[in-house]
Amino acid sequence: MSHKKFSVINTPVHNIDGIAKVTGRATYTFDVKLPGMLYGKILRSPHPHAKIINIDTTRAMELPGVHAVVTGKDTLGIKQGIWRRYEELCDEQILPLEKVRYIGEPVAAVAAVTEEIAEAALDLIDVEYEVLPAVYEPLEAIKKDAPTIHEGVERNINVTRHIEWGDVDEGFEQADYIREDWFKCSGQHHMCMETRAAVSNFTPEGKLTVWTSTQSAYYHQALLAGVFGLREGDVRILAPYVGGGFGGKFEIDSAQFCSGILSMKLHKPVKIVLTREEDFIASKRRTPMFYYVRTGMKKDGTFVARESRMFSNGGAYTGMGATALYLSGFFHSFPYKWQSYPYDGYRVYTNTMPSTSMRGFGAPQAMFCSEQQIDWMCADLGLDPFEVRRKNGHTEGYEVPGQAFIASCGLEQCINEIEKWVKSKGKLPANRGIGISSCGFMSGGIFNWFDSPYSFSSAVITINVDGTVELHVGCQDIGQGSNTTMAIIAAETLGVKVEDIRVHSGDTAHCPADLGAWGSRQTLMAGNAVKMACEDAKKQLLEFAYAEMGINIVYDLDIKDRWVHIVARPERGMKYEDLVKKALRAKDGQRIMGRGYYTPHRKGMISPAYSYMMQAVDAEIDPETGKIKIHEVMTAHDCGQPINPLGLIGQLEGAASMALGYAYLEDMPFEDGKMMNPNLVDYKVIRAPEMPKTDIIEIDTYEPEGPYGAKEAGEGLTNPTAAALGNAVFNALGIQMKELPITPERVRKALAEKKEAQK
Amino acid sequence: MKKQVLTFRVNGDEYEILIHPKTLLADAIREHVGLTGTKRGCDTVSCGACTVMVNGMSVKSCSVLAIQCEGMDITTVEGLEENGKLSPIQRAFLDNGSYQCGFCTPGMLMSSTAFLNEMGDKKPSEEEIRESIEGNICRCTGYNSIVRAIDAVAQGKYKEE
Amino acid sequence: MINDFQYLKPASLKEALAMYAEHDDCKVICGGQSLLIVLRQGMLAPEYLVDIKHVNELKYIKFDEKDGLRIGATTTHREVEKSDIIAKKYPALVAMEQKLASIQTRNWGTIGGNLAHADPAGDLAPVLIALNAEIKFGNVDGEKTVPLDEFFVDYFETQMGHGDLVLEAHVPAPEPKSGCAYQKFNLLDSEMGIVAAAASVVLNADGTCKNARIVLGNAGPTPLRVTKAEDLLKGKKLDDKLFTEAGQIASEEAQPVADIHASEEHRRHVLGVLTKRMLKKAFEQAQKAA
Repeated sequence: MSHKKFSVINTPVHNIDGIAKVTGRATYTFDVKLPGMLYGKILRSPHPHAKIINIDTTRAMELPGVHAVVTGKDTLGIKQGIWRRYEELCDEQILPLEKVRYIGEPVAAVAAVTEEIAEAALDLIDVEYEVLPAVYEPLEAIKKDAPTIHEGVERNINVTRHIEWGDVDEGFEQADYIREDWFKCSGQHHMCMETRAAVSNFTPEGKLTVWTSTQSAYYHQALLAGVFGLREGDVRILAPYVGGGFGGKFEIDSAQFCSGILSMKLHKPVKIVLTREEDFIASKRRTPMFYYVRTGMKKDGTFVARESRMFSNGGAYTGMGATALYLSGFFHSFPYKWQSYPYDGYRVYTNTMPSTSMRGFGAPQAMFCSEQQIDWMCADLGLDPFEVRRKNGHTEGYEVPGQAFIASCGLEQCINEIEKWVKSKGKLPANRGIGISSCGFMSGGIFNWFDSPYSFSSAVITINVDGTVELHVGCQDIGQGSNTTMAIIAAETLGVKVEDIRVHSGDTAHCPADLGAWGSRQTLMAGNAVKMACEDAKKQLLEFAYAEMGINIVYDLDIKDRWVHIVARPERGMKYEDLVKKALRAKDGQRIMGRGYYTPHRKGMISPAYSYMMQAVDAEIDPETGKIKIHEVMTAHDCGQPINPLGLIGQLEGAASMALGYAYLEDMPFEDGKMMNPNLVDYKVIRAPEMPKTDIIEIDTYEPEGPYGAKEAGEGLTNPTAAALGNAVFNALGIQMKELPITPERVRKALAEKKEAQK
Repeated sequence: MKKQVLTFRVNGDEYEILIHPKTLLADAIREHVGLTGTKRGCDTVSCGACTVMVNGMSVKSCSVLAIQCEGMDITTVEGLEENGKLSPIQRAFLDNGSYQCGFCTPGMLMSSTAFLNEMGDKKPSEEEIRESIEGNICRCTGYNSIVRAIDAVAQGKYKEE
Repeated sequence: MINDFQYLKPASLKEALAMYAEHDDCKVICGGQSLLIVLRQGMLAPEYLVDIKHVNELKYIKFDEKDGLRIGATTTHREVEKSDIIAKKYPALVAMEQKLASIQTRNWGTIGGNLAHADPAGDLAPVLIALNAEIKFGNVDGEKTVPLDEFFVDYFETQMGHGDLVLEAHVPAPEPKSGCAYQKFNLLDSEMGIVAAAASVVLNADGTCKNARIVLGNAGPTPLRVTKAEDLLKGKKLDDKLFTEAGQIASEEAQPVADIHASEEHRRHVLGVLTKRMLKKAFEQAQKAA
């Protein structure tokens, strides 16, 4: 179905920042250099758990070139967190006063005239620690006699989350077949190409400006104002080009905090860029999870009950991890209609780096467990996995009991398309298999744990005399292309061209507040705000056009491709730029301005809209060495109305590369609390030769809540891949992979166990 | 230790800079010459964000001492365009959406350019194209759009009339 | 962060050797692809650094049907990879180079630097040893040539002492009816092997095995010859059973060390598999060869 003939939407356009990025003109926080700027370095804890007895900075201060050394004592000591509504979840001091809780936690910071001197000064800071017993795994940390990581937090349980609908006992009673499994899902590092970085500039008038690599300028404005005791309006966050985010750049990081505190002390700009190693050990990661899953199915494949318990390794602090706990449990039910579904999630503190959101936000882990178990049960019962998924899948109009309403859903078409594709492949050679996984994802979260008093998204547009447009948005472009998406929506709505729009973002002094780039929220939420702002401005223009053109009021007017015209008689009209010039005069010289905003209301607990997809992974396994080669990834995808087709392909391919990494390459092993591979030699990020062919089939649906029918595209595509690879391995070799990543050694171990069982 | 004078050409212009011999080429370009298009993303010669061309060869400028480049010709991402006209591979990157956050893009472009120059009129296989950028990490795109861009240039789609 | 050093740039080999001999706390840099990482980590902090990257006397690839192949120490990996004569006479060397790190590293890194660094996971040494190569090194007082498999003595240690520079790798002319193959086991195409194996096979006119060499990479402190398995093959008519048996021996003889990338058991197992496969590949090449 074609909803509407678009002029701009779903046509191939270059990203509006493309020229800057392919010519080296794009400058990142990494490139910012201010006059008189000092360089900062951070001293980090070598212990996973220790009391800070004393910090002596005397020797460091004596080193020529050192301007300041700060410790927790130089701060206000405020415990902060991004879940601002809940005091107990604001648990982190970036420079702690009393104790350190993970290796890499900051304990002091230095500002000096060069980076080299700052680093040399770190060796001259004397810290006396009292080492405490530490615990690293959630299933150890919840034991009665485990060390206490945060005072007053029993059994180190940081947050719990219960989701339930239906009668689970009745559900399992109806089941013909019940299966239970334990799964272990690893952590994953965001590994943004630009490490965390900040340049803070505090000036004598009491105002702080921070250039930083962030996914939400507004969050950082509010959070930094909080910890520094400043008014929000006195903190200005500038996000120049941002070198990747993927869920890791929301919370206050050590570069921002330490450069800020140093700059406030010195009244000079201070720059801190984390090294790759610091970025690995002392930032955040995808939450590692242990999942227990018990599922009941009828003989005909009807899903009657799913009971699950999840224990996540929360690391030392809460951050955004509390959200992952909820979303993992919710998406673990996706995209199926369970008659009964109790989930209990436990987020457990450990003495490791904090865990947080990362692309998929708890769902890739949930899908790895759910989608593999479904395939295994189908195999056990001799059922067709496509048929079973179709039978139980979400459909338009379904309500996830007490949680969500599904207004648009292309799941069935996705399943049909992938089934066709898989069947077209015919019989595969030995040791090769295709695995499938379906899933869905949200289009922005409805939660407001940040306690923002502002609309979730806002936009302001101003039309200049020549018809060019200034679009001010608070949503953040981190490479996913949101500025281009907003420009497309603005151009479509106003009836102008993308090159007429200049997007202003990433500056809290000039852009309206917006929660930023997380949970796939911007296309829907900021997109709605932009659309509303443009409709507001367009209405003003058209009011004037009626008067100017002197036409009968029964006619509808519209603007398309810079042509203002009668809809029924498109040849009758005037040039858009002529209309703007005249309209301006009619408004006593005021530029035309439009305002728009969006906050979801009455859309359930989670999200205003959900994307759906099914993915197939074609993989070959060397049974002798266990090595996996990925041949192809095929995805059928319902994201509502695509806005930017080139950007959509980019999101699909990027998600596939990151999710494949999670499935079989990337891991964060710890020994005694120390990350064992904090560099790009030992941490394996997929490279071009390993990247398989990828393709996408877009399923056409219309989401009533989204701008022009659009919903989430990009983050959710990270969810199905690990499960689909697991199922490919199952189909190729008949082994069940319950631990991520699927390494050659784990494949061999599973093969050996299978052989043993067959004896 | 004493600083030394390094004379080299960057994007055709001769520079004379005073550096410590331990200065890496990447830092000489960014800090001394002042061209910040060239990025750095690791400390282990892994990510390729710092790739530049030295005498036409792609190298990782974080793995070369600047002083070793005395008298040599360095090309950085800023040297790819001519009077505002983008090079074929730059245009192909735009058309194929071969960048997202853009941080790896300068290095990717330099690896691609060196490879395409080396290929001349020869049409590389997909495997060769993939191997030509295997020293460069991109966390955003999944590489396939970059492979398509290099292939498009190699197939002559951006040849000047 | 790199410590300060005095940079020395000799104009000739003679001058380089003299500079190296003169300063005790001194290291040599050529391509520096390995050295700079070590310097940046502060694991080495020499007072002097002698740069031989531009010593062109050592930049050559020479081939002679009788004498074989001679590669000068400052020749880059990329020059080896792109050499027509090497592609023709020693295809295993070119195939290895194509998979050695990335183009950028091969463009700047040199074979002398690679061999002197003596990383047991290095790709170059196992192939050269399988090809029966020897290495020439020298100092102000003279030169010495030793078989390459004797050159390495421990992790990152060779027979060279202070003042010694790698000068040349020499590979004998290929024998008739011979083949050589190398493969590393890794997860990413461009990275070093978790383990690796090189094998060469030379056949007699009657098709029996005249000679075989098996070299394991990253399976101990140095590239590891598996002579016990080589002896098993010599004089025999080769088949899959023998290759499996040789692999078994290689697996037992190896001394791999576990780390986060693989357990000792997995390394041993894969070394056996690779040895078997490379022997078979080398054998099939030898059968086809003139």
